[in-house]
Amino acid sequence: MSKYHNFMQKPLSRREMLDICKGGFGSLALLSLLGPLPLSCGQSERSIINPSSNLNLGPHFLPKAKSIIFLYMDGGVSQVDSFDPKPRLTKENGEDPRKKFKVDATQFDNVGKILKSPWEFKQYGECGMPVSELFPHIATCVDDIALIRSMTSQFPEHTNANYFLHTGSGLQGRPSMGSWITYGLGSENKNIPGYVVLDGGLIPPGGLDNFKNGFLPASYQASILRAGPQPIANIKPKESIPNLQEQKLSFIKALDKKQLAEIGEVDAVESAISNYELAYKMQSSIPELTEFKEESKATKKLYGFESDDPHTRGYAAQCLLARRLVERGVRFIELTCPKVSADRWDQHGNLKDGHEKNAHAVDQPIAGLLKDLKSRGLLEETLVVWTGEFGRTPFAQGSNGRDHNPSACSMWMAGAGIKGGTIFGRTDEYGYRVIENEVSVHDLHATMMHLMGINHEHLTFRFGGRDIRLTDVHGHVIKDILA
Amino acid sequence: MELSILLNTGVTENPSDILIFFGRIHPLVVHFPIGFLILAALVEITTKWAKFQPLKNYIHYLWGLGSISALFAILFGYFLSLSGDYNENTVFLHKWSGVALFLFSSICYYISKRQIKLPFYGKSILILIIVFTVFYTGHLGGNLTHGSTYLFEYAPNSIRSLVGMPKKEIPRKKVTVLDSADVYLDLISPIMNNRCVSCHNQDKKKGDLDLTSYANLMKGGENGDVIIPNDTEASDFYRRITLPESHDDFMPSEGKKPLTKNEVLLIGWWINNNAPSNGYFSQLNPDKEIISKVKNILGLDKNSLFNKKVSPPKKEIIDSLSNQGFILNKLMKDNYYLEANFSLSEKSITPKGFETILQLKDQLIWLNLNHSNITDEYLMKIGQLENLIKLNVSRNNISDKGLMHLSDLQNLESLNLYETNVSDSLLTVIPKLINLKRLYLSGSKANDSIINELKKKNEKLRIIFD
Ligand code: HEC
Repeated sequence: MSKYHNFMQKPLSRREMLDICKGGFGSLALLSLLGPLPLSCGQSERSIINPSSNLNLGPHFLPKAKSIIFLYMDGGVSQVDSFDPKPRLTKENGEDPRKKFKVDATQFDNVGKILKSPWEFKQYGECGMPVSELFPHIATCVDDIALIRSMTSQFPEHTNANYFLHTGSGLQGRPSMGSWITYGLGSENKNIPGYVVLDGGLIPPGGLDNFKNGFLPASYQASILRAGPQPIANIKPKESIPNLQEQKLSFIKALDKKQLAEIGEVDAVESAISNYELAYKMQSSIPELTEFKEESKATKKLYGFESDDPHTRGYAAQCLLARRLVERGVRFIELTCPKVSADRWDQHGNLKDGHEKNAHAVDQPIAGLLKDLKSRGLLEETLVVWTGEFGRTPFAQGSNGRDHNPSACSMWMAGAGIKGGTIFGRTDEYGYRVIENEVSVHDLHATMMHLMGINHEHLTFRFGGRDIRLTDVHGHVIKDILA
Repeated sequence: MELSILLNTGVTENPSDILIFFGRIHPLVVHFPIGFLILAALVEITTKWAKFQPLKNYIHYLWGLGSISALFAILFGYFLSLSGDYNENTVFLHKWSGVALFLFSSICYYISKRQIKLPFYGKSILILIIVFTVFYTGHLGGNLTHGSTYLFEYAPNSIRSLVGMPKKEIPRKKVTVLDSADVYLDLISPIMNNRCVSCHNQDKKKGDLDLTSYANLMKGGENGDVIIPNDTEASDFYRRITLPESHDDFMPSEGKKPLTKNEVLLIGWWINNNAPSNGYFSQLNPDKEIISKVKNILGLDKNSLFNKKVSPPKKEIIDSLSNQGFILNKLMKDNYYLEANFSLSEKSITPKGFETILQLKDQLIWLNLNHSNITDEYLMKIGQLENLIKLNVSRNNISDKGLMHLSDLQNLESLNLYETNVSDSLLTVIPKLINLKRLYLSGSKANDSIINELKKKNEKLRIIFD
């Protein structure tokens, strides 16, 4: 007994915790521990995991957004082919860029000629925002979109740039932005985790560490859902007789309770009990979520369920799922890209073919999402963020590709608290470098947090002897794009 | 002799950078004489005990160190004073008490070294004077860097009156209604306190201008009056805040954050209205434009609800609502405004149970009843939640009859009627919701003519209907 007692006294590591819960759906169960926000500090479900953590709970000031949908454009969309038209590229197409401006080292160091955009731009909406032919559907939503043409990254390579965009640090191991936000606000829904990644087929370079909790408690890591019949491993009970699972669970619970009575209140056992209970609930909440029975044909069509392109249909399902998660109070939803035949947005060659395939897969579903959110009144409390990890070069790599360019990237936000129809920031005449109102990834994070009612300087977690925040020691809220 | 010449030349026009650089080491160096001299005095006292007697032979080193370091402090301090940023009178006293300290400690060094006996407690008196001078000089130095009010700023009023300072100012109450705003005290003076006073106060009077009070402002600066009532063009104050930011004369200088457009506009308006020292803003016949600017500056254009503090909700009520399936969220740290969300509940709600929510009447500003099986009957209760800013009753079986109950929600900014059965009553109810900004009617029974009518009545209202 004393040996066992010793074992129980030891604080549980994440691994051990998962081990305990591995009876099928353990890790997911842990995620769903986040209960609704407690008004009075004290008996929240979360306090089981870390009693001190709920000091941070709740917004600092009246939020604009309750949820964020992060549309991640894996690989880096070319800004001069999407949202930042540069007539000078057309004029000087085929000329040597080194004679025009200083060319930084690029990843593949295969600098070709200045390359004009293969797509035409047209102005849309009341605001007259120019959008290229790549995004005819998103173009119809520009009056709800604030475009930033001046984002930069610190890293010219995918893995680091991904970590930077997702965690505010180019190195592996920091908590992801979704983890920070659920850590700050908790989740509204007892039956679904607060931070969800909808896997479209491409996990970004850098892998799952983009979505991890880092040093934050394990309950704040993302749980990854796939659109399809089996969105989460083992979500359907193995037992053929429904009663059997219930009996098993209640037997385990009885054993755990007995143990508790003997050794006193131990967090680990208490959480194990509630993990089982919540995972049990998810068996019904998750299938209910991922079946689109109650969605009308018109809604599905809006998203692109009737497209000929299977990737469009796939991304449409992700977007619709994202809306359903927002309705269920999930805080942070990231969509990764579908696996089209031409790789992610990373067109080092064959720009035209690759960008067209990628754009076709996401354009209609994203526009459908924005419109559906808007008519349901959800867009006013949901922030939609569309961005890659960096931009691409205005000159060719080889003959018909574009290399990575961390010095300029176009991204946009729409929804809660965003001033629609704004264009912020400016690049030079080639779209190569930012020359006005540079926006760093930290500024983006600060702004996202601000809209969720969080002061990014005040949401901290003590680790390694320092109070650490998502924006480290940087970050300014981009006031000019706020309504 | 040379030293005193150097000391008396006073502020030179353009001290070289290197002198200023050394000058800025002064704050570091001054702590050496303070430490050494106090230590020397302490050791002098302890040597009265037999046990410490042997120290007597070494005491002169301490006095020597004190006096040499005092000399360096004086030298660096002098360089610092060349920059001319400091109150002259205080600098004068500080300088000469520092010199006195150097002289006294040198004397002490000499008599300790030679073991000279002074008549009638001479040495003790000398040490006492040194200790006093250390404190006095140090205090003056503190006043120079931090301002003379620094030390007693937070002292209790009884101590403040002992040193001849006025009672602590009671900060003016935050203005919550425009009619109570005083034009100078609540509007003009806070602008200067935020942006100008750091350089224009009693101790640091750049351009010989003190902006801490109306009287001093009107005394003007080195070039005479800065405010000429009813004449913005002649007022140097106004000229300087309206110059291009890159201009040498632009205020605030040194790249400090400039005044906002609204602040500049307000100051111009104030000067053109005779630049009064007090009086209610609203009694000066402000026009609509300036009223809206002032509301913006005072933060009164935001929803006025947030100017008051609500009391925390009772725990029993929270518990009872939570048990019924409501999720209640606190929406900000410094107040108890709440959101109630029933849309995720697995249970259904009874009209009786729903009544509990009226007890959160003060706190509740967001209410989400999307797809919650509520009917017209419930809207009667909701109509009494007068602090509501956001109301979502989408996807419920709600008709015109129910909507009529909502006409009193004067704070409502967003109303979601997606997929409900409302139609004609919109024309009666919506125009009464004076603060309404967004209205969601997709999937309702409204039609184009109703929508157009609504748009005509309130052009600012955004109606989402497709
Ligand atoms: C960073 C310090 C600094 C700040 C902050 C500052 N000033 Fe000055 N001010 C100066 C200096 C130095 C001078 C003298 C040099 C000159 O005349 O330009 C001066 C001079 C002036 C003068 C001219 C006085 C005279 O008679 O020559 C006026 C008027 C003035 N300031 C107004 C303002 C106002 C109004 C603000 C706030 C909006 C402000 N200042 C903020 C440093 C400052």
